[in-house]
Formats: sequence, structure tokens, C-alpha cells
Amino acid sequence: MKKLVRVINLGRMEYNKCLKIQQHILAENLSSPNSNSLILVEHDPVYTVGLRKQTYSKEYLENLAKLGAQVTKTDRGGLITFHGPGQLVAYPILNLINFEPSLKWYVSRLEEIIIDLCKVNFGLTAYRMCNIGYTGVWCNDAKIAAIGIYAKRLITYHGLSLNCNVDLKWFSNIVPCGITDKSVSSLSKIMDQNLAIKQIEPMFLNSFSRVFDCDLDFVNEEQVRDLIYKVVDK
Amino acid sequence: MSLLLRSTRLLTLGTQLAKSNLVQNKQFSISLRLAQLKFTNQHEWVKVEGNVGTIGITDYAQDKLGEVVYLELPEVGAEFEQSNQFATLESVKAVSECYIPVSGKVVEVNSSLSDNPSTINSSPLDEGWLAKVELANPAEIEKLMDQSQYEEFLKSDDH
Repeated sequence: MKKLVRVINLGRMEYNKCLKIQQHILAENLSSPNSNSLILVEHDPVYTVGLRKQTYSKEYLENLAKLGAQVTKTDRGGLITFHGPGQLVAYPILNLINFEPSLKWYVSRLEEIIIDLCKVNFGLTAYRMCNIGYTGVWCNDAKIAAIGIYAKRLITYHGLSLNCNVDLKWFSNIVPCGITDKSVSSLSKIMDQNLAIKQIEPMFLNSFSRVFDCDLDFVNEEQVRDLIYKVVDK
Repeated sequence: MSLLLRSTRLLTLGTQLAKSNLVQNKQFSISLRLAQLKFTNQHEWVKVEGNVGTIGITDYAQDKLGEVVYLELPEVGAEFEQSNQFATLESVKAVSECYIPVSGKVVEVNSSLSDNPSTINSSPLDEGWLAKVELANPAEIEKLMDQSQYEEFLKSDDH
């Protein structure tokens, strides 16, 4: 039988609220070893810093906050990045015991989802450059997807972001993921047409279920509203 | 001329002998070291000498993590209960937790790792050790796996 992954589409949500929901699902899945979930979300503008937060000075982060985005420190892997409107963010909360108990494998699968999505839907060749230390997924020499994850007893959280039609000027204020000599792009820019999250989402889910060889079970809107109420609004 | 050739050959032979001795010694010391280690199902190891346990992650664990690029080790003096998180490792794009194999107080951490975190990949059982703890409950050691049990565990589906 194929593994089942529960899809929770949160729509648009502020970063820290969504983090609470991630942590809530993580705690649930920690006590239920066969559960696997996938959160989809679009964030309000936010710069997030990974575990190596001392890389950035207080002044630097304060200056970023003046640009009108939130600035948040997190525990994920990787360096600074931006999330915001027009970017599809996916947080798979998977127990890797049910897949392959390796973070190295998991990161490469996340990259593969984007590579598969680009190829199948747009005939685009997206690729990795991790052999020269450039992480994430690349297309036409620019980064289109970023990855940063955390694992607690082989259960993952945090995840990846894919630039659909996000305003790329947000990235010009930072050195995304510490890579200085490359630019950031989006599917819309590369395809020279407007590609919104809603159009990319089904493509992403198809590639996700192919790459992880799993079936998807969609949590309905009412259940999602209940979850949000229970975890963040109450 | 022939004397020179012969002595070169002898020298080569001598080097080869010395090398093979070295290899044997190395293998012997690795197997000796493995024999002294105890393992957890979260892929940490501990080697106990007197009342102090040296802790690290296994070769299997480092391989599944990928290259370690950053790490956070506990403070010296910090006390931990068995199986609690005591260190954090960041491999490329992924952060994961390390759980302490035995309860105790940290007496030393491997501070050389902060400049060279990938030593954990190149020498997980030796130079890549993470911390030394003063054992709070030496009986815990007995419940951990020995090398052959750990190898069996790796072959099973539960890891």
C-alpha cells in the first residue's frame, strides 16, 4: 500500500502563526509514527534567518525590518531567505522512517519535486548546483526554490519555497542563502507569463506524490479552519 | 648500479612491509575501538573510560546526514537526562538533533569541531567526538547495544 500524506492548505498566513501550526502537527506526528502531513501556505512578507543566526548583526536585521517585512529567527538549516506573496511554501512534516531514514536523501527529494514540476509542466530544465555549494533549485542560472529543514527524531519540519510570481525586489536586499554571485528568479519571470500560486499548487502536489511515491489526502476547509482556531486563534 | 637498484628495491619492500603493518595496526585499533563502544537506536555512540563517557555519532548517522557545516554543542557543566537532546548538527540545508546516550554532566566538548565541523564526517568514531560526560547512572550503559547488536539493528527495518 502507498504511504498517505495529509495535505493541509492554510492559504495566506503570517509566518509565526504558521510555525505554531507546524509545531502542533509535528507534536501530533511524533506520537503517531505513521502520520505524514504536508502544509501549503503563502506568507506575508518575512525575512527568516536559520540556525546560524550569529552570521547576521542586530543592525542588519533591524534595517531589513524597516523595508516593511517581518524579520524572524528560526531553527531551520540554511542562511537568510525571504518568503512572501506569490511564493508557494511547502512544509512537509514526514516521518522519514516511513520513507528513507536520511536527511541527505530527503533534501535531494525536495529538490527533485521542483525539478520534476519544471520539466513536466513547462519543459524547463531545473537543476541542482550543490556540488559547488549552491543549494536549492536553479533554472537559467538563477535560483527559483530554496530549502531549509529541521528534523526531530527523523520527523521533518520547515521545508521549501518556490517562487511563482513573487516580487523579486525583496531578494535584492539580502544575500539569499549566502550566495553572492547569482540572482533569484521566479517561474513567472522565466516563462514570461503570470503564474500564480493557485496554478502551480496542483502541479506541485502531483510532483510531490510522484517523488515521494505517496497518495494525498486533502484536509477539507472546515477542518483547516478548526485547526487554525484551535492552535493560533483561541 | 645493481647494488643501488637492489637497495632501492629493498627500501621499497621495507616501506611496503611498514605500510602493511600500519594498515594492520590501524584495523586492529579500529576494531578495538568499536569493541569498546556502545550504541543507541538514534545512532549515537558512547565509550566509557572510568566514570567518563565520550559521545559521538556513528558512521551510519554521518552518512545519512551528509556534510556537517555547523554545530551547536552543550555548555560544559550542563546536565542531561538520557535520550534528551544535547547537541544540534546542521548538514547542508538540514538541522537535526543529537540525543545523549547516557545521563550525566558535560565535562568537555570537542571545541575543535566549530572550525572543522566536517571532521564528524571524516572521523565520526574518533576525532569527530562531540562531548564527554561524567556518568550519572553507569547502569544505563548495560542497556545500550554493543557493536554486533548495533550492526544487526542497522540491518533491521526499524532504524
